[in-house]
Amino acid sequence: MRKKYTIPTYFAFGWLGFAVFLAVFGSFIPIDGYQVIHGDFIDSPPFTSGHWFGVDSNGYDIFSGIINGARLSIFIAVVSVGLGGFIGSLLGVTAAYYRGRYDSVVNTAFNVVLSVPNLVLALALVAVLATNVDINEAVPTWRRLITLVMSLTIVIIPILGRIARAATLAWSGREFIVAARSMGMRDRHIISRHIVPNVLPALIAVGFLAVGVVIIAEASLSLLGVGIPDGASWGGMIARGRNDLEYNPHALYIPIIALAFTVISTNHVGDVLRGKLDRREGRL
Amino acid sequence: MAGSGVAHMRNNDEVVLEVRDLVVEFKAGGGRVVNAVSKISFDVCRGETLAIVGESGCGKTTLGKAVLQLPPPNSGDVIFEGTNLSKLPKEQLRSARTAMQMVFQDPISSLDPRMMVRDLIEEPLWVWERGSEEERAVKVRELLNNVGLDPELVLNRRSYEFSGGQCQRISIARSLALEPRMLICDEPVSALDVSIQAQILNLLQDMKDRYGLTMIFISHDLAVVKAVSNRIMVMYLGKICEVGSPDVIYSKPAHHYTSALINSVPIPDPTRKRTTVPLQGEPPSPVAPPSGCRFRTRCPAATEKCAAEEPQLREVSPGQFVACHHPRS
Repeated sequence: MRKKYTIPTYFAFGWLGFAVFLAVFGSFIPIDGYQVIHGDFIDSPPFTSGHWFGVDSNGYDIFSGIINGARLSIFIAVVSVGLGGFIGSLLGVTAAYYRGRYDSVVNTAFNVVLSVPNLVLALALVAVLATNVDINEAVPTWRRLITLVMSLTIVIIPILGRIARAATLAWSGREFIVAARSMGMRDRHIISRHIVPNVLPALIAVGFLAVGVVIIAEASLSLLGVGIPDGASWGGMIARGRNDLEYNPHALYIPIIALAFTVISTNHVGDVLRGKLDRREGRL
Repeated sequence: MAGSGVAHMRNNDEVVLEVRDLVVEFKAGGGRVVNAVSKISFDVCRGETLAIVGESGCGKTTLGKAVLQLPPPNSGDVIFEGTNLSKLPKEQLRSARTAMQMVFQDPISSLDPRMMVRDLIEEPLWVWERGSEEERAVKVRELLNNVGLDPELVLNRRSYEFSGGQCQRISIARSLALEPRMLICDEPVSALDVSIQAQILNLLQDMKDRYGLTMIFISHDLAVVKAVSNRIMVMYLGKICEVGSPDVIYSKPAHHYTSALINSVPIPDPTRKRTTVPLQGEPPSPVAPPSGCRFRTRCPAATEKCAAEEPQLREVSPGQFVACHHPRS
């Protein structure tokens, strides 16, 4: 019996759809860019004409900032989870399938990386990779971005890799794998036809949770000043807005709400998907 | 008693599968080794059904899989139709193995829940690129008909939509797709209801006749074994206890373990009194098997000789071989 979606699920899908829409088509919305300074409107509250979400104390339009932040956050999250998930599951699936010394090495590496707290690891990686030899020379934004994505990818690899490894261990003990071997199937076909389709649902569900983790991590890094410069992402907006909390609270609250809704939505969608994709033979 | 020996081997032209001194060991951590199968030899003649019986954990399933080289045994030879599978390079083994297929104990776990029956049964043909797509589709229908399933009803369904008995039929159809000459059935009916067991056993018998199969039938259920086998091999803790035809084994078992097994088969008669003492205790751990005869710790007839010396298989009556120093008479 198929369970109907509940209101929070519709909300989560709706919000994510909206955020993705902003990220993809945001540049076609006819408003000024996020770095245009509106000197006359500094500290305007939300619902000011022409500035739906108000303007912060620097004169930046907050709606424009949210759109640009959505683009950055979603781009970073999707790329690093996609890349990290791909590399992680490649390692995890092959490790669990072939076992032996290779498996021990991969599993130990996962555990070592996992033992360092996410944020500390990302912070260390960004600090090392995005610094010039000459510290007075500015690091270009694209290099910051690539470094950030790489660091977050490294954080994601063991998280998804372990899920892939655990799921593969469970599935490769099944008798249909032995049957496939006895009929002379090659290992790469066994993996692609029998292991991957069975492991994928768990990975997709956890992948959504990982998107939430990455968005938070990216925001935290920006808040600490090592993420995307110039406060372009949601985390950067929060970092900028917290200085004006007393007289301009919306500059802080609006990006926080956008961030919170997005993370809650990805977590919720991850849960719902896990329930739907997890087609067990036991549920007859 | 449980010992080694090769006295029961037949060296005639009809032998299809010959297994010599097969050893399978597993590492159990801490440098310990599980002796799952210890120096077992046996042979199977063309068209014969050899039943391997023994209690849980005695190594019967491991033995069945080791014959298929899944995983390859630690030592010993598996000679199938004159080819020594244990010495074949990987790629040749892959194709040689298709002449032997296996039917598994758990019918649901042996089918990929994400694949449709059509693809499940076609899979072996796909692997070996046998025939065109249309020919394969025809073959799949024919196989399904042979195992008593209506292709129209089952082709587009997945395994979780079927009962255990139906899944076992699908698995049998799949194992027959490559037209093997030998079928290794690993407890094919023990996960099924008694009413379904008979159907599957009959089906296996039909398929055996139709395809001219030689079978190894692994089971712990002596009633089932009696119905299907030509020859019975009793295993205990990785060793052979007794080999013989079903009639002899059931009417006058020479090994004390065999007799205990036969006496443990429940007889549906409430007024009947137990005439024998059931076996006491658990089987010893295969990590540290007893010296000499492995059955001696539970054997009613054990003596000092049993601890010191491992019994070899010897013929006690025509066609009946037993590995025991003090066989029942």
